[in-house]
Amino acid sequence: MLELNNLTVHYGHKRVVHDVSLSLAPGQTLGLAGESGSGKSTVAMSVLRLLPRSARVEGEVLLDGEDVAAMSWGRLRAVRWASASIVFQGAMHSLNPVHRVGEQIAEPMRLHGTPGRVTELLEQVELPRDKARAYPHELSGGQKQRVMIAMALACGPRLVVADEPTTALDVVVQEQVLALMTRLVAEQDLGLLMISHDLSVLARTCEDIAVMQGGELVERGRTREVIANPRHPHTAALTAAFPVIGDPAHRWSDPAPAPEPLLRVRDLVVDYGRTRAVDGVDLTIGRGEIVALVGQSGSGKTTLARTIMGLRAPSSGRVIFDGVEVGRGSRAIKAFRRQVQLVLQDPSSALNPRHTVFDAVAEGLRVHGVPGDHEALVTAAVERAELRPASLYLDALPHELSGGQQQRVVIAGALVLQPRLLLADEPVASLDASVRGEIVALLLRLRAELGLASLLITHDLGLAWQIADRVAVMHQGKIVEQGPVGQVLLTPSHDYTRALLRAVPQV
Amino acid sequence: MRLAGRFGGAALSLLMVAVLGFFLFRVVPGDPVVSMTRGRPVTAEMQAALRAQFGLDRPLHEQFWTYLTSLLRGDLGTSFTFRRPVAEVILDRVGPTVLLVGTATLIAVLLGLWLGVRAAWRRDSAFDRVTTGVSLTLWAVPTFWLGMLLMMVTGDLFPSRGMRDTDTAPDLLSQALDVGHHLVLPSLTLVAVVCAEYALVMRSSLLEEMHAPYLTTARAKGLRDDLVRRRHAVPNAVLPAITLVFLRFGLVVAGAITTETVFSWPGLGLLFHDALTGPDYFLLQGLLVVTAGAVVVMNLLADLLHGVLDPRVGVV
Repeated sequence: MLELNNLTVHYGHKRVVHDVSLSLAPGQTLGLAGESGSGKSTVAMSVLRLLPRSARVEGEVLLDGEDVAAMSWGRLRAVRWASASIVFQGAMHSLNPVHRVGEQIAEPMRLHGTPGRVTELLEQVELPRDKARAYPHELSGGQKQRVMIAMALACGPRLVVADEPTTALDVVVQEQVLALMTRLVAEQDLGLLMISHDLSVLARTCEDIAVMQGGELVERGRTREVIANPRHPHTAALTAAFPVIGDPAHRWSDPAPAPEPLLRVRDLVVDYGRTRAVDGVDLTIGRGEIVALVGQSGSGKTTLARTIMGLRAPSSGRVIFDGVEVGRGSRAIKAFRRQVQLVLQDPSSALNPRHTVFDAVAEGLRVHGVPGDHEALVTAAVERAELRPASLYLDALPHELSGGQQQRVVIAGALVLQPRLLLADEPVASLDASVRGEIVALLLRLRAELGLASLLITHDLGLAWQIADRVAVMHQGKIVEQGPVGQVLLTPSHDYTRALLRAVPQV
Repeated sequence: MRLAGRFGGAALSLLMVAVLGFFLFRVVPGDPVVSMTRGRPVTAEMQAALRAQFGLDRPLHEQFWTYLTSLLRGDLGTSFTFRRPVAEVILDRVGPTVLLVGTATLIAVLLGLWLGVRAAWRRDSAFDRVTTGVSLTLWAVPTFWLGMLLMMVTGDLFPSRGMRDTDTAPDLLSQALDVGHHLVLPSLTLVAVVCAEYALVMRSSLLEEMHAPYLTTARAKGLRDDLVRRRHAVPNAVLPAITLVFLRFGLVVAGAITTETVFSWPGLGLLFHDALTGPDYFLLQGLLVVTAGAVVVMNLLADLLHGVLDPRVGVV
C-alpha cells in the first residue's frame, strides 16, 4: 500500500533523510522512532508530498503503487485524505482556531464527495455529538486529538499517518487516545504509520518498529524483538532512556534520610472564581530533597507551583520557607524568589530569542540587583550547568543551541542566583531521550554539589522513579498520596495512583 | 459582563474626550478673545462683551459645568466666525466628509487587504516586491504633496476644487455625476495613503500565519491552494487587520484635513483648517469632541466585531 524506495530529502545542502526504504501493507502497523532531527517527520510529510518548496526529494514514494512525486496537482489533491490521511502532532495548532470542529471534520468529506455524517465520526472517537459545534479552544487536549482522529477517518482512507499524536498529552489521556487508535485501526483494517520519539508509545500500538537516526533508517523489525534485542546501539540507547518503574537499574539516586524541612506548605487553598484548583494541600520539601509532584494536567500541580512561587495569591493557607512564613509584600516575595527558582518545560519558549546566553543568565542578577562581577557569576553558573567552556556559549543566541543546551541555559539562569530550591515544571518533557538523561543527571549532580532541593512537577512517573526521593500524587486539587518513591510507585495505596501507573506504556 | 465593560470603557473615553476638549482650549496661552479678534478693529468694550457672551468672564468650574450640561443637550456653543451654533456648522459638513472618507476607506480596505494577501501568499515574488515597495513609498509620502502631485499629473481631467460646480443641472443624476467627478482626486489621494498601510499590515499578519500547522492540515485534506488561503489562512490573518482598520479611522479623519484643504472639499477637515486659522475656539472644541467621539465609537465597533469574528475572544 505504501512503499518508500530510497527516499532522500535535502533542504538546501542539508540532507535530512537519506536512502530510506520502507513498506507498509494494508492492516499493518509500523512505528517510526527517532529523536528530533532524525528525519522521521520529514518522512511522514513526504507521503502526501507536504514538504515545503525548499525540499528536494529523490527516490520514490509509492501510494497504492502510484508515485506521489509524479502525480499532477489535481491527482495529488484527490489522493490526499482520501487514500491516506494524517493525524498531526499538537492538535491545538493543527486545527483552525476560528472554525467549528464539526465544520473542519466535514470539510474533506464535502471536498472528496464522501458520504457520511460528522456525528457518526464523533461517536467513533467517543466524543458527544454536540462537540461538533465547539471551537478548538473549547476542547481539552485529549478531545482535540480525538477530533483530529475523527477528521483523519472522515474520507475512509486505508492509510493513516500519525505524527506524534500523543506527545502533548498526559499519561492517562495518552493511554485513552492510544487505545482508541488501536481499536479503530483493528476495526477498519487500516494501515498505520505512527511516528514518535517515545518507543514505549510505539510498543503499545505497533507490530513493527523502524528506528531512524540522523536521516537514516538504522533498524527495522518486529516490535518485541527490536526492543528485547536491539541490534543497533542507537536503538539500545532509545530503549534504555525510558526508565522502567520498579527496575533498580533505572533508579539513579538513593533516597536520602529524612532531612530538615526547607519548604513547608500548610493547608493551602487556591480558588479560580468558583473552581477550587488547589484544595488544602500540605507538602514538605527537605533540604537537598527531590520531591516529585505527579498528576494529570488539570490536577492543580502547576497552580500549586505558581502559588508557592508567589505568582498567585492563595485563598488561604501558608507557605513557610526556611522557618519563616513567606510574606505577601512585594519585597518579601522578591527576596524569597531569589532562593526559589523556576525551570520551565519548553526552553525554546522560556528564552527570549533575541537575548544572548549571557543576557539570559545575567537577567536575574540585574532584577535582584546583585552586587559583584556579573561576568564572573554568569560564567560560573553557565559552567555549573555544564556548558563548558562558558566563553564558547556566552554570546550565542538560543536558536544556535540544541534543545538540551537551551535547557542548560535556563538552569544556569536559575543557578546564578544561588537558589536553595528549584521548581522544575516538566524539565525534560520536551527533550529527546538521549538529552533527557543528561539533564536528569545534571539535576542530581547539582543536588550532590550544592545541596539544591527540587520540586519536580511532572506527569512522567518514570522520571519520578529515576530521581525523586519522595512522590506526592495530586488529583483534583488534593494530594491523595505521598511518601517515599518506592512505596508510592511500587505499593500504591490510592486508586488514582494505581490508575496513573496502569496508564504508563511499558517498553 | 464583558459587553458592559466594553461599553463602560467607551463611555469613560467619551467623557475624557469632553473634559480634554474643554481644558485644551482653556490652557492655550493668551486671552482667546484677543487672539480671535486679532487684526480686527475692536475696542476693549467689544472684547468684554464678547467675553460675557462666551461666558469667559465666569469662574472656570462654572464654565465647565455649563459646557458639560450643554454638551449633553447637544449644544456645542456658538461659532465665532460663522455666527451660528457649532453643532449646526458641523452637521452641515458631516455629509461631504462621510462621503469622502467612507468611499476612500471602503476602497482602501478592499484593495489593501487584497494586495496584502496576494503579496504575502507569493512572498518575494515580483508582485510582492512591487506592492511592498509602492506601499512603503506611499505611506511615507506627505498627503498634501501627493494630492498636489495628482492634481498636476491629471491636469484638467478631474476637477480639483470643491464638491460640485455651480452650473450643473439641478436634477439628481447630473448632481450625483458632478459630485462623483469631484470626488475622484481627493479620494484617490486618501486611498493611496491609507491603502498602503492596510496592505502592509495584512501582508505581515498573513506571513505570520503562513507556517501555522492548521494550513498543513488543510493542504493534507486536499484543498486547492486558493481555498487553503481563503478558508483557512485569511480568516485568521484578517483579525489584526480589522482592528487596525477601525483604529486608524481617526487618522483617516486627520488625513482628510490635509486632503480636504488641498482640494477645498467642503467637509470637516476643511472646517478644521478654517477653525484653526480663525482661531475659532468653540468650533475647534466642537470638532475635537465630535471627531474624537467618532474614533471612540469606531474602537468600540472594532472590539465588538473582533468578538464576532474570533470565537476565542468570547461571547459578545
